[in-house]
Amino acid sequence: MTRKGKAMNLRHVLGFAVATATLMIAGPSLGEEPSFLHAIAVKGSAGPIIDLNAAFWEQAPAVAVTTQPQTIANPQNPSPAIGELSVRAAHNGQWLAYLIEWADPTKNDRIVVNEFGDQVAVEMPVKFAPGDTPNPMMGAPGERVNIMQWRAAFQHDIDTNAVDGPKPTDLYPNMHVDVYPDEVLRATDARAYMGAVGVDNPISRPKNSPVLEQMAEGFGSLTVLPEQHADGKGVWANGRWRVVITRPLAAGDAYSPSLKPGDETLAAFAVWDGGSKEVGSRKAWANWV
Amino acid sequence: MESKPYGFYPLGWDVRILEKHGVQDLSGDVYKGKTLFEAAPDGERVLGYLPDDIDYANPNVGEDDSLGDMPQGDYITIPHMQWMYYLPRICNHCTYPACLGSCPRQSIYKRQEDGIVLLDQSRCRGYRECVRGCPYKKSFFNAVTRVSEKCIACYPAVENGFQTQCTQACIGKIRLQGFITTPDTMREDNPLDYIIHIAKIAKPLYAQFGLEPNVYYIPPVHVPPAFLKQMFGAHVPEAIATYRRASDDPKLLGALLLFGSTPRIIHRYKVENGLAIGYDEQGDEVSRVPLKEPIYVRPLYDERYGTYRSNIT
Repeated sequence: MTRKGKAMNLRHVLGFAVATATLMIAGPSLGEEPSFLHAIAVKGSAGPIIDLNAAFWEQAPAVAVTTQPQTIANPQNPSPAIGELSVRAAHNGQWLAYLIEWADPTKNDRIVVNEFGDQVAVEMPVKFAPGDTPNPMMGAPGERVNIMQWRAAFQHDIDTNAVDGPKPTDLYPNMHVDVYPDEVLRATDARAYMGAVGVDNPISRPKNSPVLEQMAEGFGSLTVLPEQHADGKGVWANGRWRVVITRPLAAGDAYSPSLKPGDETLAAFAVWDGGSKEVGSRKAWANWV
Repeated sequence: MESKPYGFYPLGWDVRILEKHGVQDLSGDVYKGKTLFEAAPDGERVLGYLPDDIDYANPNVGEDDSLGDMPQGDYITIPHMQWMYYLPRICNHCTYPACLGSCPRQSIYKRQEDGIVLLDQSRCRGYRECVRGCPYKKSFFNAVTRVSEKCIACYPAVENGFQTQCTQACIGKIRLQGFITTPDTMREDNPLDYIIHIAKIAKPLYAQFGLEPNVYYIPPVHVPPAFLKQMFGAHVPEAIATYRRASDDPKLLGALLLFGSTPRIIHRYKVENGLAIGYDEQGDEVSRVPLKEPIYVRPLYDERYGTYRSNIT
């Protein structure tokens, strides 16, 4: 896939420029007019920005990001439920944050075989130079991207103090089980009997953040990073998700973008509606902003 | 234990995919229908469906239920007028696994050395594409770990020359696990090759899906062949006829008698002097079974306990 990128200059503070990308794909327009997302500079602590109700979000300009079905890699959902995200950004000199909002009439944070969770993700190029736009769709070999994915199910675990994940009786209150390994063995010994928990699968292991920080170099290569920097929080109310995803401007490793106030870079988004059984590549995505 | 015709796990697994697959031509020696890969709709990798959670909730629905009438005064003939049968189902470790083909993350792989299909527990992200894609529904979602899991064919045992646990533990001695070869390189001294490729008495389940499953079933003789054909293919009647004449073919009888005779994987066998003898990969004898069980007769009166025996053979 070849791309021609055109980055736009930005004024003050950290901002994001769109690259009008020439993609060899069919589908809705990718947007002729460049749209900008300015991360406003905010005062306060230099830590992660996870306050959804901070007053400064009102000052941050919201960009409407149109999403479209992922139609390159199979399997697909040709008509995903969510078509638009509202995105704002802010930074405090050390941490960068995105506030992403979208309409979703159902909150999906319970996961069983045929129930899926709501999710949203921000993708950023690890290295970005104006005029050299990486592949927005999961990156490409040599075009590594960093992807931060917030999951409603993880948020539920954290909000309900179930950071080890759900117990069978959380999912099925009337279920009877004789005994589970963690009831008779020390937690560390029991893990070997817990499948993916025993091998520290990032989806299964105890979590301290609803956000998974990952990298990719093309379809099917998404890998959770050994060092997790990103954090976030999401709240569903009145048929709408409000999710903040935050990361250090410069985490200092080879899998993270290295930014400072005033820099420009790209961000792309993806969103999944659990109620429509969207998962993995069955999603809506938006090109670089 | 799943039983047919009314048992399913998950509920309706086979009738639902068969209905989606549509009527396929099973006549003749060459399959002319579509595989599930060829039948995949646009945007999908495999024709499949994702079961509902509740489909897994009642594993005993339909279990042991029989089909057919047994009128007053009638007596049983073969095939039975009223019938059911057990269908033990493990992962088929298919030659063309739909779970593997469905996974967009390359989390599932088939091992070159033994053909075992494994799901990488550290790489899976719980998309459930394999649960959707496997027509046999042998990939399962674990809602506690939030990733999928499947049968591992007891690979640590297999790597050490032992048969899988389900084979070793079968008290009915109706399972044999080993390495089948392709029809062009089949060996008469491999018990599985003899049973499957030469005698042709064991058949794959729903071969019309096109996955080349590697579990082969000897169709039950008491079930009407019309029902069995849709599950085990057009050649069921010949398979049953050959099976019923197994006592005329010492090699077939020998191969069948090796079932459940050893925990070791039998790579070669021979039949001589009324014995079936199995050998492991190194050529060491691991099993020795008489084709005809000797009869021992004990005295009717047990002198030690001063009583009469009710069973003396």
